[in-house]
Amino acid sequence: MALKGLDIFKLTPKTNCKECGNPTCMAFAMKVAQGAIPLEKCPHMGADVIAKLSEATAPPMKVIEVGAGNNAHKLGGETVLFRHEKTLVNKNLFATKLCSCMDDAKIDELLAGVKHVDYERIGERMYCEFLSLDYADNGVDKYVALVKKAMEADRALILNVECPECAKAALEVCKDAKPILNGANASNYEEMNKVATEAGVVLGVKGANLSELFDTVTALEAAGNKNLILDVTGATIKETFANAVQVRRSCLKENNRTFGYPSIVNLTKLCAGDERMQSALASVFTLKYGSIIVMDSMSYAQALPLYGLRQNIFTDPQKPMKVAPGIYPMNGADENAPCMITVDFALTYFVVSGEVERSQKPINFLITDAGGYSVLTAWAAGKLSASSIAKFFEEQDIAGKIKNRTLIIPGKVAVLKGEIEDKLPGWNIVVGTNEAIQIPKFLKDANF
Amino acid sequence: MAKFITIGERIHCISPVIREAMNTQNPEPILKRAKEQIDAGATYLDVNIGPAESNGVELMQWAVKLLQENFDNVPLALDTANRKAIEAGIQVYNRAKGKPIVNSADAGDRIENIDLAAANDAIVIALCSKAGVPADNDERMAYCQELLERGMEHGMEPTDMLFDPLFLVIKGMQDKQMDVLEAIKMLTDMGLRTTGGLSNVSNGMPKHIRPIMDSAMVAMAMMNGLSSAIVNPCDLRLMETIKSFDIIKDNDLYADSYLEI
Amino acid sequence: MPFTNKPQVFNAKINTVELGVGDKKIAIGGENVLPFYTFDAPIENLPKIGVEISDAGVENEVEGIKAFYEGCNTVAERAKKAATMPGADFLAIRFESADPNGENTSVEDCVKVAKEVAEATDMPLVFMGCKNVEKDAQIFTAVADALQGKNILVLSAREEDYKTVAASAGLAYGQKVGAESAVDINLAKQLNVLITQLGVASANVVMNLGSAAAGYGYEYVASTMDRVKAAALSQNDAMLQMPVVTPVSTETWSVKESMASEEDMPEWGSRETRGVDMEVVTAAACLASGSNAVILRHPQSVETISKLIKELA
Repeated sequence: MALKGLDIFKLTPKTNCKECGNPTCMAFAMKVAQGAIPLEKCPHMGADVIAKLSEATAPPMKVIEVGAGNNAHKLGGETVLFRHEKTLVNKNLFATKLCSCMDDAKIDELLAGVKHVDYERIGERMYCEFLSLDYADNGVDKYVALVKKAMEADRALILNVECPECAKAALEVCKDAKPILNGANASNYEEMNKVATEAGVVLGVKGANLSELFDTVTALEAAGNKNLILDVTGATIKETFANAVQVRRSCLKENNRTFGYPSIVNLTKLCAGDERMQSALASVFTLKYGSIIVMDSMSYAQALPLYGLRQNIFTDPQKPMKVAPGIYPMNGADENAPCMITVDFALTYFVVSGEVERSQKPINFLITDAGGYSVLTAWAAGKLSASSIAKFFEEQDIAGKIKNRTLIIPGKVAVLKGEIEDKLPGWNIVVGTNEAIQIPKFLKDANF
Repeated sequence: MAKFITIGERIHCISPVIREAMNTQNPEPILKRAKEQIDAGATYLDVNIGPAESNGVELMQWAVKLLQENFDNVPLALDTANRKAIEAGIQVYNRAKGKPIVNSADAGDRIENIDLAAANDAIVIALCSKAGVPADNDERMAYCQELLERGMEHGMEPTDMLFDPLFLVIKGMQDKQMDVLEAIKMLTDMGLRTTGGLSNVSNGMPKHIRPIMDSAMVAMAMMNGLSSAIVNPCDLRLMETIKSFDIIKDNDLYADSYLEI
Repeated sequence: MPFTNKPQVFNAKINTVELGVGDKKIAIGGENVLPFYTFDAPIENLPKIGVEISDAGVENEVEGIKAFYEGCNTVAERAKKAATMPGADFLAIRFESADPNGENTSVEDCVKVAKEVAEATDMPLVFMGCKNVEKDAQIFTAVADALQGKNILVLSAREEDYKTVAASAGLAYGQKVGAESAVDINLAKQLNVLITQLGVASANVVMNLGSAAAGYGYEYVASTMDRVKAAALSQNDAMLQMPVVTPVSTETWSVKESMASEEDMPEWGSRETRGVDMEVVTAAACLASGSNAVILRHPQSVETISKLIKELA
């Protein structure tokens, strides 16, 4: 915070009494801001001021935990608005909507869809983490039945209920699964707060606009509830985007702690039925501050780019994404296909494997442990060398698993050819291309 | 962090050429010096019209319009002891490229210039002194507090105040230089912005020494957080030092041609 | 207590660059806020959408694209048809077949195609090359000459060929120049410096900062764009205030998710839908990161992204 020293100074008595051992209150405030001396050194500061300041030095956006067991998730806790500033902490999650207005066939179809899209990409499980259950005011029993059905799907739950009785009944069934009760608004928050607190679950808060949301959150915090999530969905797409950005920005830039909670963006209220538009918006809100994005469904077509995007955005800029070392047979390669080796940097893997696929030539694609660096960086750091490759061959028993004795190495490390030949006798070491884009032509022209 | 702000000092009535041009309201010498400074990379131009007790209002308005009309609304620091002239200058000032700077207020009889800046949504240079040079940093910080409180009372954003710790001449006050640097650090740690008349450091030194001394000082001061300075932008070595420092401090994005832009 | 937004309006703005002539002329850039932050200040020009048309034909495209261009036999005919695509603001003609390692279409033939396209449509035109530096420089120079007065944009001038491309297209023939920097922010700035030092007015320069399909290193694109916009707006860096044009389709239609057949990946479902979603998700991310224009291929992607822009603006 730019004005932290100044903020502390404003709370000092400004008498320059020197009792703290500093010549002026300003010098004192400055040292406190640096962490050089504790606030308590000033004998004239009241307990309320100290409490205010210690809260002011806590991170502005809270981490909220939802779900239980396999379906426990952390949301929020961000400290920056852009990933290059530091790193984003907790990735956004996705929800599929179910409604008590849907018939069993529809619900089964949607649940099957949720179950179907569940895969791994670079060590990360990709699936729809939440079911968001809408209450259509058609009877508490119907809703409880929906909750029971959803419980069997092994996902975290969001209960979209604004009726306290219905919420209570639903929570009796599912409170141990720690769902989000997304139902507090300006008129019902007192009752909903009671229901959520008794069940020990996170309470979702809505408002007709940001001022109303701000007031309701303020009132809930005053009542002692700081286990909240903010549903920033507005009447229009434009309004929702404005809400999501302003809530996060005002929290992180203006230190507005009232908005220091994760957000829910409900696309099913903004463009129901328009799957492509939901894809586009889910992309926007992945970048701009949606913590949970609720959609009509999540097909493979949507999941592949959206989860890929999310994985990109939430990588630590300091830590490259790595692919597991091993043999990746491509284009139907068997033990007679030649080998091609590269590093475990995810981007290298994707680009090179894409081009190999395009060549349609069977290749045993080998990924060696190179610390997640690109080819040249790994080579310069000694993580891609003749001995590291030899060690990899031994550990993975490449010679035992593959009969072909041709190994294509990246063109950028052509210098390693001789050393590899020494370390891997019997192998024909071929220098590949400098750039991935040249691979299809290279493989088509060659004969191994 | 924002880029370092250089305030070009070369339109100053202490120069005979400029004094003559102002007396006769002759644009040419003033425009020439303005262009030199802008081409050399100055962000703001200081316009010192001297005490200008009789014709300050008219002269400042003429100078402000002259410079802004000819140089795409270049932002200006209005520099005179004549308060009415500063106000008049602000009236005709175009803010497209930045707020006007009032140069300057102190904790003594020029403290009302803070009120003036506050009333006109301007930036103010606040000298951490009352009369003469402050004895030590305790005194500097006490003045700083006084100035800051005055500004905040009048509704100013603290970031619209540029605190000047008073750069001191080395030939005569060599033992006080580290104090000035420490003061910059203290002000910066409080989240305040700083400025100062950098050239004062090398006053009285041989001509070929001055760029070297000024460059060393500006680098050390920037390290401590100095956010702007009143300088001679035509000093190439100084400007190269500032541009390089902005790169190192990540205030400006590096490109191979960074010295040329 | 009412919540008050503290608007983040900058004292600097992105340059406005005009493309094309006549009624269909478009302007990109001009904003002084972050992408779609209309709650801070109105955005002068909405982001624009270009339709990519390759001179290599549509044989390898998905059914929806083939169907859209049914009956069109030439690039000019496809351009004419693409101009009717709902949501299209400009056309991006790509000389894919000019690659010396491929069909090696001659520069003269490329110029002929460019002229035919310009006669067939009054949409603003962008020309993309075959990624071979020498050949592209020749094509861009010749096309910029042949279409003088049409205010076209050539994508792109690179580190290796900016002198030829910027001097010919930008200076001699008065066209717009795209500076291409492949996700390298320092190079992006340096190219703008070099191109403007050649004498090309900055109002005639746009940036192609590079792109990546979602999941394929898009984080570098996002961070490059975030930092470029931050430098342009909060540091008033005139050498990064050029608007950003991002070719999206060339990246997204060549990744596995868009290419794999339904026989190979039965659980993934329709290849066409996968391709459209990859294009839509990547384009939406680019726009949210700061692209002032995106280049797309599939009519459904154009329709969706056009709707997204209208809804957000």
